[in-house]
Amino acid sequence: MEEEFTPEYGPKWSDQRVERILGALVCGVVGLLLAMIVTVFIRGWPSFSHNGLSWFAPGGNVDDQLNEIFLSGQSGAEYVYTFHAWPLIWSTILITGGAVCLALVAALFVAVFIVEFAPDWMSNILQPVVRFLASVPSVIYGLIGVVVLVPFIGNDLVTEHQKASVAGVISLTGYSLLAAVTVLTIMIAPLMVSIFSDGLRSVKPGWLEGSLALGVNRWRTTWKIGVRSARPAIIAGTVLAVARAIGEAVMLAMLSGSVGFAPNPADGLIFIYEPSRPLAPTIIKNIDQLSSPPGSATLFSIATVLLFSAATFSFAGYIARRAMKKYGAA
Amino acid sequence: MRIKSLAIAAFTLAGLAVPASASAVTYIGSGSVAAQPVLQALFKTYTKEINPNVHFVYTANGGNAGVKDVQNGTSQFAGNARTPLPSDAGTTYIKMFMDGLCLDVNKANTLTDISIQQTHDIYRGLLTNWSQVGGSLTTTIDPVGRDTNGGTYNFFLQAVLNNEAPASNVNALTADGLVVNAVKQDPNAIGYAGLAWQGSKKMHALKINGIPCEAKKISVEPLKYPLSRYLFMVLPGDGTQSPKGLLKFIDWMRTSKRAGEVISKAGGVPAFNKKK
Repeated sequence: MEEEFTPEYGPKWSDQRVERILGALVCGVVGLLLAMIVTVFIRGWPSFSHNGLSWFAPGGNVDDQLNEIFLSGQSGAEYVYTFHAWPLIWSTILITGGAVCLALVAALFVAVFIVEFAPDWMSNILQPVVRFLASVPSVIYGLIGVVVLVPFIGNDLVTEHQKASVAGVISLTGYSLLAAVTVLTIMIAPLMVSIFSDGLRSVKPGWLEGSLALGVNRWRTTWKIGVRSARPAIIAGTVLAVARAIGEAVMLAMLSGSVGFAPNPADGLIFIYEPSRPLAPTIIKNIDQLSSPPGSATLFSIATVLLFSAATFSFAGYIARRAMKKYGAA
Repeated sequence: MRIKSLAIAAFTLAGLAVPASASAVTYIGSGSVAAQPVLQALFKTYTKEINPNVHFVYTANGGNAGVKDVQNGTSQFAGNARTPLPSDAGTTYIKMFMDGLCLDVNKANTLTDISIQQTHDIYRGLLTNWSQVGGSLTTTIDPVGRDTNGGTYNFFLQAVLNNEAPASNVNALTADGLVVNAVKQDPNAIGYAGLAWQGSKKMHALKINGIPCEAKKISVEPLKYPLSRYLFMVLPGDGTQSPKGLLKFIDWMRTSKRAGEVISKAGGVPAFNKKK
């Protein structure tokens, strides 16, 4: 016969109460999130409905288009919505993609080193340092970039010949892909390292010991067993880093340059010195236009795209993690 | 026990949030970054020397944003560096003091004089090499400017660019300080910034049409220096509904000799203040 569980002290219904309160909180949070997504989407809708899919396509000068949109809001004449965001999207892809690829490789090796190879005293130092780096506000990275990295690129790396070759179109002053990608990599790598090393640490010790007992050397064991079983954590860390990189605005507004220009890899090496402006900094730089109806619709449509891409990445990460659950460590 | 200590902590915090003296008033303002250094100096002097019960909070979020704040009531006053636009309906502009926009180049650049036309052509992407302008450099020009959020940008747009948008090779930065920083660090750069930002050894201001960018040349009338401008105080309505204390401060700022000294010291040019 089943016995009903009665707590020894406290009111009988206290756990039910907790359940309800927490449930209400969760519903509230989810509701808030949905409300936010819906608001952003509705406010951005006019821009999408006027441009259709050509919103995402190249065409014309995106800065001129933004200017037209804002002016039409001030003059009170018919609103202009024409907006082709490709240069901004391309810049986001280049900067985020470049930084995530670099950070993934670097963070993986650092995490393996911290967990498997570093002596205790060293990983005791590295661990908190990495955690701290992961939580440094991005504006500080931006400041260091402006004061140190940008002048170095502009004055020492870019040659006069390269500058003259694009004179009048863009300025190669150091505000560049290179600066943005470098600093973004430094910014997101610690986040990845701390999640990767948690994953590597939670690999079942028996699996590693078994491999070592069979005479497999340490590096191979780590690589084939440790890193493989930690793949779900690696994906989780990468997804978080991608989300942070896509949404990064302040640091990129300071370093990436301010032109809606699509850097062209076909230009050769000069391509990494070219300025561009990703989606998130575009919102920051034009936040002033929020009061003009077409301007606000355009900014909110950019916000919608950012929200949806972040959501897509976290969903894709969730699917990939589920598929890899059989490999063990979460 | 825990609830009690939490409650005590909450009360303490609430106590801290309340201003120290009950009769003190705080006026809230926002707007122009260009006006900020001078306004802050004026606020400090006013609170210290004239009326210790009046305090000011000023957020430098850009002139256009400041006007919006006044329109929707989040700010009691705003600083702005441009003349009124049709979109500023429901606000009153009061001339506070003057400011000159200087064109700055790096100390490595020996150029001393530039014309408005040349500046226009540089920022429109028509002149791209320093050899076309003069001076010792033969390198590519790196024009630096403000993004559209700044009153400085609007003033430059009206005064130099005839309202034509700057070329794509102009690097638009988010703050006046960043523009100055970029000019200091890049030998090929040219940038624009207010008088309050001048005085660094790493860059120097150019004469415009032969007139140096100095406070004493930026006289009230006639405006001889091509890039001189008024900085405005923006008030809601017709300017009379604002609190008495705030209007008193504005009057002091515009007319008193002491305020004139403070304005000059902070990098502005007094326009209406008594000389003695």
